[in-house]
Formats: sequence, C-alpha cells, structure tokens
Amino acid sequence: MKLLCVDIDAVYRDIISLYAEKEGMAVKIESEFDAARSSFREFMPDIVIVGVVSELEQSFALLHALKAASGDRFTPIICLSDHATNAVMDRCFQSGADDFISKPFNEGLFHIRLKTHLRHIHLMKEMYRKNKALTYYQTMIEREHEMAHHVLDHIQGRSEKNSQYVAITRLSAASFNGDLALVKTRSDGARLVFVGDFTGHGLPASIGALPIMQAFFDAVDDLLKIEVLAEKMNRILLNILPDYMFCAGYLIYMGRDGDILYWGGGMPNALIRRTNGEMDYLRSTHMPLGILPASEFEGKLEANQLSTGDTLIIVSDGVLELKNSEGLMFGDEKALQLIQTAYAEKDLIKAQYHTEKVLADYRGESAQLDDITLVALRC
Amino acid sequence: MSITVAVDEPNDCVIIRVLGSFDFSLFNDFRAAYTDLSTTYERYIIDMSQVEYLDSAALGMLLSMRNAIDLPAQIELKGANDFIKNILMISRFDKRFEIQ
Repeated sequence: MKLLCVDIDAVYRDIISLYAEKEGMAVKIESEFDAARSSFREFMPDIVIVGVVSELEQSFALLHALKAASGDRFTPIICLSDHATNAVMDRCFQSGADDFISKPFNEGLFHIRLKTHLRHIHLMKEMYRKNKALTYYQTMIEREHEMAHHVLDHIQGRSEKNSQYVAITRLSAASFNGDLALVKTRSDGARLVFVGDFTGHGLPASIGALPIMQAFFDAVDDLLKIEVLAEKMNRILLNILPDYMFCAGYLIYMGRDGDILYWGGGMPNALIRRTNGEMDYLRSTHMPLGILPASEFEGKLEANQLSTGDTLIIVSDGVLELKNSEGLMFGDEKALQLIQTAYAEKDLIKAQYHTEKVLADYRGESAQLDDITLVALRC
Repeated sequence: MSITVAVDEPNDCVIIRVLGSFDFSLFNDFRAAYTDLSTTYERYIIDMSQVEYLDSAALGMLLSMRNAIDLPAQIELKGANDFIKNILMISRFDKRFEIQ
C-alpha cells in the first residue's frame, strides 16, 4: 500500500509519515501541489493526504485533478485543513475529497482514521479482483455454451426434417442444458427416436451427446434392436461420464403399423393423444442411462400401439417446469390439456406451432430457464 | 449455510440437512458433508424436508455420494415433498436409496 502526502507544514508531514510507516505503507512526501500532481501519476498511491492551503481555489483544483487522474481506481483523498468551516468542507467534498480532518488533530484519531480507510481500500481491491475474475469466468462459460450449442446443432442436423409424421421443437434457453432429440427412419420404414436430457449445463452436458448420437445413427443403419441400443448407450455413458452425470431418456421404436416398443429412464410420462381425444401414456420405468453398471442394467421394454392419426408427444421437463411471470410452473395438468386440444389439429406442423405459441404466451416476459424440447410423432 | 451436518454417535448415524434449492451450487458443500467426516457410519440420512427444489445435478450429487459410501451403509432420503419425491421416483432412486 502506498500513501502520498502533500502538505506545506513539515510537522504534519512527519506525523503522517510516522503513522503510515507504522501501517507498513510506502510513503511519498511532497510540499508543493505541482510536485504532488506528478507524484500521483508516477507513484500511483492507494490513498492521498492533502493539506488544504489558504489559497483555497488552488486546493480545490488539486483535488479535482487528483480525482480525475485516479479514474476507475478507488483512491480515497483525505483533506487536512485549519480552515474547517462548513463552506470549505463542502467545497472539498465536492471537489473529490473522501474525508476531512481539521488541524490541529489528535494523532491517535488520525491513526484510527487511516486504518479505517486502509480497510476500505482492501475491501475495494478484493472486490475489483473478484469482479475481474468473475467477468473472466462468465465470458469463458458463455463461449463454452456457444460451443456446446454448436456441437448439438450439428448433431440435430442429422435428424429427420419436420413432416406430417415427425415434428421436433427445440427452444434453447440462454444457458444450454443438454436436451437431445433424434428421429430417423430406418431402411425398413420403422422409425427410431431418442429424446434425452443430460444432467448439467453447457459443455459438460454436450460431451455425452456425441457418442450417443453416433450409437443412435449406427443403430438406424444396422437395424439394431432398441434393447441392445439402450444397453450400449448406458455402457458408453457409464464409461465416459463422471458418476454425478447421467442422461434421462426415451428410446422408442415405432414400426410402420404404429407398433411401439420403448425403453424409458428418468423421464416424465410421454403422452399419446388418440384421434378420439383419449389420452394414454408412455412411462419411464428405469434409472436414467449412465448410472447402473452393465451387470445391473435393465433393458426391459414396454409396448404400446398407435393407430392412424394418433400422436405421441414427448416433452422434456423444461416444458413442465416452464415458469410464467408469476413464477408458477406450467405443470403436468396444463401440459395434458394443451396436448389434448392442440393435437386435435389434422396438420401436425400446425399443431406443433400452436403448442409452441401457447408455451411462449404462458412464459410471457419471464426468462426461459431450461431448454424446451417437444417431439411429436404421428402414425 | 444451506447444508448442515449432525452426527448421532449412539445410533451410528449422520444426518445431512439440505435447505432451499438443492442444485449444482451445493456441489462442493454437499460432497464435503460426507467426505469431511472422520469416520464412516452405518446410516446416512439426507433430510430433505426443507428442500424446495431439486434439479438433475442434485440427483447426480446423490449418486456420487452413493458411490463414495461403501455398502452395506444405507443412505436414506427423508422428508421430501411430493414434487421432489416424484422426481426421485421417476429416476428410480428407490433402487439405490431408501426413500421415506
């Protein structure tokens, strides 16, 4: 810590030096204002003591100059003066002083005041340092999220385009959370679907997505059974992810006749809207992927059946936990009603668009916290 | 503190209480709650009665704890509200934890 003192009176210069050195500070002493200005620039003090002289305007000008020269740096200026009238004090503070001590002063009191200012300087320095570090990390995380988005967008690009049979909506939150939606028709006309939700946010969440995508598209090419694919995905994630990360998901096979076989782990119920308006569910019965060792993994599948015109809708928890401006979650019940009405629409793309709009209206001006993924399949 | 740890020596048990939002921000504190103990116990109780929200990162933190604590020591997830209990059941945490 460095202290600059400018005072025409040698006695005060000595007292101030004495106490500043007691506090372990480097001290620079000046007796003239011009010298003080150049010392301020070269010495870069953390605190300045200015003895106000009887040429008051000169003193105020010095305070102005020092305050301007300190810029963003927090450099308290303490004025010492034997003209301690309200008017002088007022001008000093307006010109940039942070404290005022009238001469003559008690040395002990000066010492305490100095220590108080030093404490504030330490706090400010610490705050600046933390702020700088936080800004750095924030920028870094933003870049990582951008990269994660980039990686995920690339993966999604290989998925099937929207049609009257498949509609995929992904609304990305500011902080990317690792939802993955893959749909691809196999050479035998059956469709394979994976909707996954990785733990965590940003880049870490996207790391598992790459090998999962690879396994998925390989399985489409090889007509791999989904119980085998589920086990393979589990093994991949178990190997590459740390133990506190996993991926909830539905892996669905839909035959050309609407016959459905699925494996679900850690996901909310997926909904089936029948053409007559009745609702049915796919339930996830397993632990998410990437938790259980291969020996304990359960590949047991569930089955269902879609008839012509029925729609299967899989939503991520981002939809159910979507908050409106009052902080209320959208919830299961509203989601059920929305799907029941929206997918009565014969045109799947219109139905999907309507659903997106209702969700956007519900959210209103509040921030979207999670990615929203909505996959609709129609038989 | 959002996490408090109480040791119940006579019952060979540790109670870890989580307050408020159980999410990624508690990652280090939660891990410290069971790794900073000087010895191991027969039962670990996670008191979740004051937890208002739980995200998938918290589920991961619980799994990580389960891996760190050797069987046959039990981990009980106690007092979760219906919303949180539902999250735990959807992910079948009953396979690894005692849910009460």
